[in-house]
Amino acid sequence: MKYTLAIHGSPYASGAHLQAILLCEAILRAGHTITRVFFYHDAVNVALNTLVAPQDEANLNAKWQQLAHEHGLELAVCIANGLKRGVVSTGEAKRYKLDHPSLSEGFELVGLGQLIDAIATSDRYIEIPT
Amino acid sequence: MKNLLVQINKPPYKGSQVLEAIDAAMVGAVFDCQVTVLFRGQGVLALWPDQDATGIEQKTVSKVLSALPTYEVKRICACAEDLLAFNLPVRNLAVPIEVVGYAEIAELMQNQDAVIGI
Repeated sequence: MKYTLAIHGSPYASGAHLQAILLCEAILRAGHTITRVFFYHDAVNVALNTLVAPQDEANLNAKWQQLAHEHGLELAVCIANGLKRGVVSTGEAKRYKLDHPSLSEGFELVGLGQLIDAIATSDRYIEIPT
Repeated sequence: MKNLLVQINKPPYKGSQVLEAIDAAMVGAVFDCQVTVLFRGQGVLALWPDQDATGIEQKTVSKVLSALPTYEVKRICACAEDLLAFNLPVRNLAVPIEVVGYAEIAELMQNQDAVIGI
């Protein structure tokens, strides 16, 4: 079965990311596929390359990157939600004349259409709320 | 074509989640989904008439909502119990809505391929 996941919660003000990562692992372990993981609302903050996780807390950014690397997951960050929260790719940093990009490797800034497209081509859509 | 329900249950001016959810409804319609928007809980406050958010330097949510029919989002629903709880003037809201009870909400949800909620 094909799944699309959307995460809405902030990485450290909610439990959304850890729940979503565990869910992704379980979905993949059961032999299903994940079409796309979409980060919306405050969830986009997990894609910042300036996050420094405390040593005794989960590094959510790294966990997503590892999951994406191992399973070829697409980590899609809503571009409109990302830009206003400081998540900018190299291209967007140039466009808005910012000194540095802040999007972590493995994540991609995309339009909302990518969420709708993923929902349309998946069997199940699961949303992890705030 | 997929049936897509966008459920809004957060208050309109506490953060930008309501505007971001309306964006999702509009993009869903652009991508040929049959989109229904459902206001519940404090989300019904987004339907308050005569809003003006210029004083708090935000987009006026009711103005954005009024663009939904232009995006082919034809069905806008609100929970009857929540409208009543906030004493909203059902006949004079920011956009015309369909008032739905809990049973109709349950049926509405069963008819969807996906529910986007906030």
